[in-house]
Amino acid sequence: MIIFFLLLPAILMFIVSFVKTDKIANLLPLISFTIIIPNIMLFKLPYPYHLVGNYLIVDKLGDYVFLVSSVVSIGVSLALMTLHKHVNIKKRAYNRFYRFFALFWLGLILSTLSNNMGIYWVGLEFATLSTVYMIKINYTSTAHKEAWNYMIVDTIAISIILFGIILIYASAKPLLGDNAMNFNALLAHIKEIKMPFLFEIGFAITTVGMFIKLGMFPMNLWLADIERASFYPVPALFSGILESAVMIGFFRFSKIVMQIDFTQLFGFVFIYSFLTIFIVAFLIYRAKDFIRLFSFSGIEHMALIALFWVSGGTFAALLHFGAHAFLKPSLFLSTGVLESKGKYHIAGALRGYKGIKGKIFWFIVGLFLLAIVSVPPSPMFFSEIYGFGAMINMAKHTHHMLAMIAAIAFLLILLSIIFYRFTAIYQSMKYGGTQEEKKVYSSEIIALVILAVSLALLLLPQSMQYLRSIS
Amino acid sequence: MDNFLIGLFLATLIISIFTARLYRLIFWYFVNSLMLGLLAVFIGIKVHDNALIVSGVITLVLKALIIPYVLKYLSNKFHLQRQITPNIKVHYSVILIPAILVFTFFIAEPISHMLQANPNDISISISSLFLTLILMMEHNHVAPKIIGFLTLDNALFLLGITATNGMPMLVELGVFFDILMAIVIINLLFKDTGVKA
Repeated sequence: MIIFFLLLPAILMFIVSFVKTDKIANLLPLISFTIIIPNIMLFKLPYPYHLVGNYLIVDKLGDYVFLVSSVVSIGVSLALMTLHKHVNIKKRAYNRFYRFFALFWLGLILSTLSNNMGIYWVGLEFATLSTVYMIKINYTSTAHKEAWNYMIVDTIAISIILFGIILIYASAKPLLGDNAMNFNALLAHIKEIKMPFLFEIGFAITTVGMFIKLGMFPMNLWLADIERASFYPVPALFSGILESAVMIGFFRFSKIVMQIDFTQLFGFVFIYSFLTIFIVAFLIYRAKDFIRLFSFSGIEHMALIALFWVSGGTFAALLHFGAHAFLKPSLFLSTGVLESKGKYHIAGALRGYKGIKGKIFWFIVGLFLLAIVSVPPSPMFFSEIYGFGAMINMAKHTHHMLAMIAAIAFLLILLSIIFYRFTAIYQSMKYGGTQEEKKVYSSEIIALVILAVSLALLLLPQSMQYLRSIS
Repeated sequence: MDNFLIGLFLATLIISIFTARLYRLIFWYFVNSLMLGLLAVFIGIKVHDNALIVSGVITLVLKALIIPYVLKYLSNKFHLQRQITPNIKVHYSVILIPAILVFTFFIAEPISHMLQANPNDISISISSLFLTLILMMEHNHVAPKIIGFLTLDNALFLLGITATNGMPMLVELGVFFDILMAIVIINLLFKDTGVKA
């Protein structure tokens, strides 16, 4: 029954996208609201709930990621209703976008709720391939080139992940047989595995694949180029949903590896994240348009989430993850309006709004811009405090306390570069440039309000308690 | 027999790197997939694993028959450029390919000793991964890159067979389904373009 409701929105969306009438553009976002039904049902179930045998299992982590992704997908569908008013898009492309969005959703269900490494990979690959054509709904030669670019780079990244999964499976198969693919079985028996070295190599290769997919060091630019070439709902989907699907895999894999070699896991992810933030801080400093700015900022946050997670700050990582998943798609969706006078018109982008809708828009976008650089009371402010606190706590049990303090100090310097850039951009948007009138539509405001309310809900004690219970 | 098939798998991959014509490259992909499918069937029979035999048969049908046919059809339909001269010159490739093979045998040694499988098979599987990456890198055109990542999938399947005697059936089916999806996407990307591929 739950499986039926889980698949229903995607199936309905896929079928309706073939209907050739003008009213479809309004009907499809309404269908996306049905995604919330299985979410309510899943929250009422006892954890862990076996959806399909040992293959799909709903646990607290999967449920949280699925809920966050569902809210983002509703926001994106609402913003899609007025996409044609901001960019030149054919009606046929709308339907195709939803057709692939439906397939993307199926891939997401598989990867988020999977208890099987192989099925997780199949879902991730399926979701990735579905998004290739979404880039192509922008009929320009740049978008076409970037769609191919995305297809090739992502396929390599995904293949690297599969390579790692095969090695992990090979290391655990003598002990667990076919169950060596199951995350839960691996977690329960990891210490009995006779070849932990092979398991760790598999994990390292899988992680490299995932980090390439997230745009982390040294592949920092490809994702930003692709997001720049696409229409703005596509990067919103990437940052809010696809990156979440990758991160949940990282969470599950690293949770297992923590049991056998925590030091090497931390060292590996720390160096990777550190290098990523170092490069990205300067890329953000030099960013000249909103999409690239937000895209690089997304990479920085993914690096922080990975770092907090392996430092033992699972609560901080999950809070940061949720806050980023709501904030970043909102900012990407707002670029439809912000860039309506040209993509390099940053100065004055928050001026020229009339009426209640206009005022709500600039107020929410202004808040989001400050929230993404962790200005309190943004959930990111708290997650960073808890995250760095977890790093210090971890260092207490080692002889590297001073090194950790120095590393955190250096990270804070890098984060302050990003903070400076964002606040300078905010000031330029609000107080610089000329006042040019910009049009805001109701569906966009509703999307932003939904995401803003979801973000605020993260700060409720009940939400915090739920996140703590996951860790 | 399995050594013979793995050897031919590697040989077809090496020839692909030197190939400068698109149809010839599709042909070598066909032979590469044929060897892989036969190997899966052969190992499946040897270890009495029906799932692996089924995977081998699906590989033969999908990768050795349907995909090469579809690729040739697409290249005709969209008038893809058939002259695909590799960026890496032949005399450099002659040095590079053995270097990759030796290097892979060296780095795969600690891994291959841990597994019950033949260490040479594991090393060849991993070197195939590197060689497919070379195949993708050495071309500017999209078509050989597509064949490159399809061959990359073959190399991963080979690793799955040699290192683990095949992955669970459900996962294998999922991987095949994803390849079909990739072909659909490739078709759509070629279809809706005015840009030369």
